[in-house]
Amino acid sequence: MASFNINGQPVTVEADGDTRLLWVLREHLKLTGTKYGCGIGQCGACTVHIDGNSTFSCLTPLTAVEGREVTTIEGLVGEDGHPLQRAWVAEEVPQCGYCQSGQIMRAADLLARNPDPSREDIVTHMSTNLCRCGTYPRIVRAIERAAGEGGR
Amino acid sequence: MKAKDLLEPASVSTMRSGSREGRVIEATDVLERPATRRGFLRGVGGLTFAVGAGGMLRAAAQTSGNEELAPNLWVTIGADDEITIQFAGTELGQGTMTALPLVLAEELDADWDRVRVEQVATHDPDYGNPRAFRYLGEGILYTAGSQTLRGYYEAMRQAGAQARRVLLDAAASEWGVAVSELVTEPSTVVHTASGRRMSYGEIASFAEAPEHIEPVDESEFKDRSDYRYVGTDVLRVDVEAKSDGSAEFGIDVQVPGMVYASVLRAPVEGERPVSVDGAAALAIPGVFEIVSIPSGVAVVAETVEASIAGKDALEVSWSNESRFRDVDSDAVLAEYEAHARDTGFSTDSPLWQDVGDADAALAGAERVIEATYVTDAAYHAQMEPMNATASVSADGKSAEIWVSTQSQSMAVMGAAEALDTTTDKITLHLPYVGGAFGRRTEYRQKDIDDALFVSRQIGRPVKVIWSREDDVRDGTFRPLAAQFLRGGLDADGRIVAVHQRVAAPSVLEYMNPPRWAMSRGRDGIAMNGAQETRYAIPNLRAEHVRMERCSRVLAWRGVASSYTRFANESFIDELAHSSGADPLEFRLDLARNDPRGRAVLEEAGRLADWPRQRDGTALGVALSDYGGASVAAGIAEVSVDAGTGDIAVQRFWMVVDAGLIVAPRNTEAQLEGNVIYGLSNALRERITIRNGVVEQSNFHDYPVMRMNEVPEIVVKALASDAPPSGVGELGLATTGAAVANAVFRATGARVRALPFTRERVLAALQVV
Repeated sequence: MASFNINGQPVTVEADGDTRLLWVLREHLKLTGTKYGCGIGQCGACTVHIDGNSTFSCLTPLTAVEGREVTTIEGLVGEDGHPLQRAWVAEEVPQCGYCQSGQIMRAADLLARNPDPSREDIVTHMSTNLCRCGTYPRIVRAIERAAGEGGR
Repeated sequence: MKAKDLLEPASVSTMRSGSREGRVIEATDVLERPATRRGFLRGVGGLTFAVGAGGMLRAAAQTSGNEELAPNLWVTIGADDEITIQFAGTELGQGTMTALPLVLAEELDADWDRVRVEQVATHDPDYGNPRAFRYLGEGILYTAGSQTLRGYYEAMRQAGAQARRVLLDAAASEWGVAVSELVTEPSTVVHTASGRRMSYGEIASFAEAPEHIEPVDESEFKDRSDYRYVGTDVLRVDVEAKSDGSAEFGIDVQVPGMVYASVLRAPVEGERPVSVDGAAALAIPGVFEIVSIPSGVAVVAETVEASIAGKDALEVSWSNESRFRDVDSDAVLAEYEAHARDTGFSTDSPLWQDVGDADAALAGAERVIEATYVTDAAYHAQMEPMNATASVSADGKSAEIWVSTQSQSMAVMGAAEALDTTTDKITLHLPYVGGAFGRRTEYRQKDIDDALFVSRQIGRPVKVIWSREDDVRDGTFRPLAAQFLRGGLDADGRIVAVHQRVAAPSVLEYMNPPRWAMSRGRDGIAMNGAQETRYAIPNLRAEHVRMERCSRVLAWRGVASSYTRFANESFIDELAHSSGADPLEFRLDLARNDPRGRAVLEEAGRLADWPRQRDGTALGVALSDYGGASVAAGIAEVSVDAGTGDIAVQRFWMVVDAGLIVAPRNTEAQLEGNVIYGLSNALRERITIRNGVVEQSNFHDYPVMRMNEVPEIVVKALASDAPPSGVGELGLATTGAAVANAVFRATGARVRALPFTRERVLAALQVV
């Protein structure tokens, strides 16, 4: 069991403390925008923010988020949208789309720290996240677009 | 999208129809012919369905006017001006969920902003892909082989034009004017002379679908220059939901009362559990049942985490009797290679391509060159692991299923077969598909089987999620292949003959037994790309030396072309070298009778500035036909670290002719994806098997290309008068050969084993 904030709302989850945050989000809280891809921190499809830092939720036990602020794609976009989400649409980034929540969460973390990243900064930061469809060139463009619009 | 529906042999026979004797490949050998246009249109105009589906009669009785008009199977026009278009493919990321409706909307002259796309999620043969194989004489819904846009294009145009005709007729009748006096603007009929206007929705409120609609003649279709949407960057309909986390994939499905199952699968194909000790698993809170199913032992629990923990706690001893226990993939590849090189050895496969007399031409050639190419097995690595949710009825004879699949028809037929029931008892729900690349083309998709068998046993809805490790180790791979090529040159250095022997298992035999039974031994999934259709080579023979499979096998992105084209385009380079010719000039000469092939080669060469000498890098080129309809040229620029054997691909240019480009921006994205997927595979993707066990298990040991490894990519689609022919796989097959050919020009070393691991590159460098 653990209590934490999910997308700004307090929540208490009754589950074994060792349960991965990924499954808590997806199957207990029905926040399915966060995806299972590998379970070992190799693909980034499960990326969420914990206290603002991008984290692999597939490696994070539930006990580790006790009292903390967890943000998922649903919370990042919210009702008002997010510059990265709009840039993703403007650049038509997604193909199959499965990895894109994780990509956006990872990119949001970058822009929060580095509002004007170089292309090299983007590539280095984003290389934790796999996209099998090969949308990488579009992801770079979308991040540059969002940064250009002052998006954070 | 990889399984190959296309009648590859048709293109071969078409291209070679003027050839001399020899057994020209028959178009209808493998598969039945696509539905005739007329036959298909009967489906399009299925008015019983149209009226019923539109609910028009009921609506008319309840209100003063109709609520909607459904002039054919594909489109419904609401009185509120909302237009609903049915999409019969599956959206895998390739964009056809937008492209097909867009083609219909264009011909209908609809207002795209008011179009809603509806997914067809049934096995209704009337919606079958005209280019897919037919099953028991009926059409099937099947998204593979880059055949969706190509297959449905004419039907979409026709359906749109017919619906527009119905609207025009109704407006003309209402106004008492001739149809010829009317024009359309988006979703509006206009009588130019009087200035009267009526929206499609207004017309739908009184019009009735006629009993019979004649096909609209091609000459009445819109001129391409009048297109409002086709050829422009209309936003894909799935992109917004895929950019905010709201798109629902198969794995996201939640149904009331659902439980979870994790399956401990046999370590080696063909083994079964001999004894199961489930005590530790059942002791885990939430675990409530252990079920043996064909694929292994399933742990069923109230929560997903309990099912996973239960699987980890399960103690199972397995049988030790499968023939796959002895599989060592390196040894198998060596065996395939020996069979490929032994030209006296043949299996009962019909010749894949046979033009002229290759034996005689080789015997009479000035010089004969030989080479052998090998390729390892490859894994799809689609991002969404296999998973399915099923709810089987108490009597075990009907079910609802929720699954990511490439084929509505096969999902339904396979589920019916699994439950020994009829297809009408299966209700399919089709969410978005998190990547496919052929992984979801199996006739009996194993994740569906898992969910059905567990649900039937426990009497509750169940979601089965494969771990990534399961997805890799129970992977259905692109098969191992060894290819032996012989080529003859005349005194002028021109190719007189090429003979290609592809030693590989039948993929169809495992992937789709009913289709294999219809194929008469011709396996397009194992062999596509092994034919030459763009080059003027007078004598050609390609053979499938059919080997025993050593793993599960399925179509993989590009079908077989990622290995066949690697071999034959590397070999063309070897022949060019032997004749002292420039590789690009040599190909341009070979493609002298194929203007489209020449054009893509020329443009790729121009973009890459082919003649310019580079410092430390070199270029390699490859050409690939796809399905006889489209063609791509790829050029790689590489550098090679002679110390480590590392290949760095610096740039890649790809130029294609894929007919009409319906969605330019999406086309570019698809082609970029082709380059990345193909390079990832060519540089290091490798599945190996020891003692029957797949040695790789996840992305750490099956590394796919990351952003920091992507070269600069330039893609271009040439303007073309041809109908659209699909871009999801086009060009992928150029990547392996282009890189190998560039490595040769950079170093003089010829790498003939794909992927080009460091060890293989270093070994090739030693030979120089």
